[in-house]
Amino acid sequence: MALQNSLRNPPLSAKIGMAVLLFFIICAVFAPVIAPYGEAESVGKTWIGPSGEFWLGTDNIGRDMLSRIIYGARMTLGVAAACTLLSFLIGVTMGLLAAVAGKTVDQVLSRFIDLMLSIPILVFALMILSMLGSSLLTLIITIGVLDSFRVFRLARSIAVNIVVTEFVEVARLRGEGLWWIMRREVLPNALPPMIAEFGLRFCFNFLFVAGLSFLGLGIQPPFADWGGMVRENGRSIAFGIPAPLWPALAIALTTISVNMIVDWILSINARPSGASAEM
Amino acid sequence: MLRLIITRVFLGCLTLFAVTLLIFVATEILPGDVASAVLGQGATPDTLAAFRIELGLDRPAYVRYLEWLTNAMQGDLGVAMTNKRDVIETLTPRLSNTLFLAGYAAAIAVPLAIILGVVSAINEGKWIDRAANVLTLGAISVPEFFIAYILILVFATNLGWFPSLSTVYADMGFWEKIYVVALPAITLTMLVMAHMLRMTRASVLAIMSQPYIEMAFLKGLPRRRVILRHALPNAAAPIISVVALNLAYLIVGVVVIEVVFVYPGVGQYMVDGVSKRDLPVIQACALVFGGAFVLLNTVADVLAILVNPRLRHPR
Amino acid sequence: MEDFAKKLREAERLAARSGVSRRDFMQLAMMTGISVTAAGAMFSKAEAAETPKKGGTFRMGMEGGSATDSLDPRTYADSVMIAASLAVYNGMIEFDNAGNPTGELLESWEAKPGAVEWIFNVRQGVTFSNGKALDADDILYSIAIHRGDDTSSPAKGILEQIADIKAVSPSQIAITLSSGNADFPVILGDYHLVVVPNGFTDWQNPIGTGGYVLESFEPGVRLVFQNRGEYWKEGRANFDTVELLNIQDVAARTAALQSGQIDAANRLDARTVDLMMSNAELNIVRTKGTGNRFCFVSRVTQPGFDNKDLRLALKWGIDREKIIDSVYSGYAVPGNDHTLDSFNPYYNTEMPQRTYDPDKAAFHFKKSGLSGPITLKASEGAWGSAVDCAQLYQESMAKAGITLNVEKVSADGYWDNVWLKEPFCAVYWGRRLSADQTFTQVYGSGSAWNDSDWRVPEFDKLVEAARVELDEAKRKEMYFTCQEMIAEDGGMVCFAITDYLDGFSAKVMGTAPHARYDMNDNRIAEKGWFA
Repeated sequence: MALQNSLRNPPLSAKIGMAVLLFFIICAVFAPVIAPYGEAESVGKTWIGPSGEFWLGTDNIGRDMLSRIIYGARMTLGVAAACTLLSFLIGVTMGLLAAVAGKTVDQVLSRFIDLMLSIPILVFALMILSMLGSSLLTLIITIGVLDSFRVFRLARSIAVNIVVTEFVEVARLRGEGLWWIMRREVLPNALPPMIAEFGLRFCFNFLFVAGLSFLGLGIQPPFADWGGMVRENGRSIAFGIPAPLWPALAIALTTISVNMIVDWILSINARPSGASAEM
Repeated sequence: MLRLIITRVFLGCLTLFAVTLLIFVATEILPGDVASAVLGQGATPDTLAAFRIELGLDRPAYVRYLEWLTNAMQGDLGVAMTNKRDVIETLTPRLSNTLFLAGYAAAIAVPLAIILGVVSAINEGKWIDRAANVLTLGAISVPEFFIAYILILVFATNLGWFPSLSTVYADMGFWEKIYVVALPAITLTMLVMAHMLRMTRASVLAIMSQPYIEMAFLKGLPRRRVILRHALPNAAAPIISVVALNLAYLIVGVVVIEVVFVYPGVGQYMVDGVSKRDLPVIQACALVFGGAFVLLNTVADVLAILVNPRLRHPR
Repeated sequence: MEDFAKKLREAERLAARSGVSRRDFMQLAMMTGISVTAAGAMFSKAEAAETPKKGGTFRMGMEGGSATDSLDPRTYADSVMIAASLAVYNGMIEFDNAGNPTGELLESWEAKPGAVEWIFNVRQGVTFSNGKALDADDILYSIAIHRGDDTSSPAKGILEQIADIKAVSPSQIAITLSSGNADFPVILGDYHLVVVPNGFTDWQNPIGTGGYVLESFEPGVRLVFQNRGEYWKEGRANFDTVELLNIQDVAARTAALQSGQIDAANRLDARTVDLMMSNAELNIVRTKGTGNRFCFVSRVTQPGFDNKDLRLALKWGIDREKIIDSVYSGYAVPGNDHTLDSFNPYYNTEMPQRTYDPDKAAFHFKKSGLSGPITLKASEGAWGSAVDCAQLYQESMAKAGITLNVEKVSADGYWDNVWLKEPFCAVYWGRRLSADQTFTQVYGSGSAWNDSDWRVPEFDKLVEAARVELDEAKRKEMYFTCQEMIAEDGGMVCFAITDYLDGFSAKVMGTAPHARYDMNDNRIAEKGWFA
């Protein structure tokens, strides 16, 4: 009952979060209609301040900042979501498997991940690049795989604690299969911290995408992505020019919104009985 | 427990060995080699050939790897191919700089994040929870160099409180270093806070709904005591994992901060090594980074076992 | 009043660098209400700053270094090591601020007719920092390390023209070239060619004849030099100590300069340098149009690009002014599709500057009979803003109805994987020492770096003939024709040549612009002083 109630009536913060996300999704879908100028169109001088003509000013080569942010929602949200989903799919599956399937599997998987984590990201990305070439798919795979190592560490550490609890023992004694235990007993109990992690990883990936851009991975000009926009315009902040603040603000708004929704989901999960609600 | 640690150390060494092998193979696969990278536009076929012979690159790959490995086992990481300097001699001061900065940032960030995370969990939904979340999330919404630039603009260029150049030298005193490195340490603190704070908050909240916590409340124990004595230890596993991941980031992932603050750490050494394909340098840095991961992960696993009584005596 | 005071300070500074005449200075001073006598005294004081003063610690922050740097001259590739090298060592030839070769350790020279046989006189009375006196054998050794089969020196190529080199006496060397070259002394001014004692190999403890000795060197971090106490050049090497910090990030360099942590910074950011010009504490030195030559290069042997009309469409379809304006804030000059700059005495001043003309671009594209998109590969690895330039190019081509796909590729390994391999990509060229060197290295049939793959026997013959031509008028005419051939037929879209932008604290003197490199030819440690 309580669960259904809170699903129907999210707190204000979660409503705001959903509204902002929805707003950016609408921007992404209807970008050509909403944006005042083209994505690649150079319309004025470099780094003009906000004006009636250009609401958020212009970027490092004189393109309209507002239009780039609106178009940028497409790449940014899409790629970040794809990377994060992929990394969680790989990371959580392997993490739970390591916890459930016994010592040998755990050791093999854990040490393999240690090995992968130990390879510097630069070398790792360069290797993938030279093997797969640069494309949007390569970018998603690279980030998804790199991130999944970190997700694995977390998923495993949570799962090993769950595996030793009574109800998992009981399930084992009942003779349930590995897959069943992972899915039905361990996963639901590991969810809250993993959801919190998802909210953050999703946001890290906005920047991760841009961080690999010097390797030519992924998003090709003239397409915009927010992280890349902060990067391209970033230097000017050292001189007090506000241009990079706008895409940064877009990222911050999305990050905070996603995490407000995450908080709401966590709080539902945290109070099935409502007993602690009166604290 | 002791047996576990010994096993892990042994497996850690094995991991490091595998890392060096993998990196050796990777640098062999990657296009370009140290000769073409160093000579750049000055490369003609015969200068390239001469340089490769000078560096011994004309010999088969496995011979070179085995030679490197034999020397490394004896503690000799060789000399850099590009400038013929002893790798260990160059690496040691840079490593101590990297550890100093990482330790400095961790000393601020870890306690602060965990305390704020617990406070946020206790005050879930109240203003302090919201403020802590929005501020730390805001900080991770921009690339690391961006925070660095803003701090430089405000605290170095405008206010003049701290230097914008954080280069440290061997002859500096401890407190002078603390002062000079303040801005990068604060930048890093802001970067790693959000992750640890959010995980602490989420794990503590998740534990709060468990029956035994409710029992504790029903027994009439004060809230602080319930959270600190009962909830926190049981919520520790994911927190420890995330702290370990972030500590590792502070050691291996700060090359951009090093560049902006002109801080001579291992990250820049590694990047210069990779772009020049200078194998002994890459290998040495990879050993350091790999060592950091193996060590931190081992410590995290051991700690996780220590805090959870059930894990201590697995059936 | 405030404004006048500022202008006066400015004028005072300019007077100190002999940029303002006494009359102009007095006029400006009058306007601020200062008496004639006082103004006269001020001018004399400012002028007195012309005479170098000794002392002080000079801190430079420079881009262009790496953790893999070394003081072995065969490994130099970028500014930090060039500047460091010139603090410790001397070159054979120096260049004056206009770019003409003057004597350094090779004091003077003469060529026999035909410019095949040369005699160079070694400067006398110069000692190395270990006390040894300089003689011809040191020069021979310092050249020899860049020659021969087993050298890895990038200077090997430019020295291949030496057929024979020997010492005639301890103070004279004779060089015979394999064919005539009227510019040969200029070649000896290459930054790799610095002088060390005969047989020297200990590059970690360099011995040179320069004004400073190395105190400490952490590659990629910092070099510290101490004054040697005596220097053979009058009025040079004035600082007690020189610190050369490696600061890769331009914003970090600028912040350090603005907050007074360094006294000099190279390669300022064109887009933000205007904000620093108004700061009276700083002195921004601009060297117009001698910096990097930014190009998009097509390989004329590749299908599509073998069509001259397509190449013309590529050249007419780029909006040079817009790129210079947006990406370089006007701190660059338009390129005329070849890499010679207007400071070169043989720069073709008669050839009209190519401008943006979408109609002509569309016309030639249509005439070429080709259709479909053209792909341009660009990367931050080519130069920092290459992708920005490519995007503006993409836009200006679109206006001419030509689709240009810009593909951003990896910065790592760019020069190995893309340059000289891809049919159309971004590349920059640095200034070469002479017109001959430019044409031979960038466009000569025999050059391994002929990145447009434009190999024309006629052109090679012309360059060869000009090399030995001692009649200046004829030589000039030949070089003019060379430039026309490249611009009309070649595969290179050279759209901009940047300015060098150095920043100095206002108290640093001796910062005049130099025709070759920034930071007063990377010799500011030697040439500068504190007012």
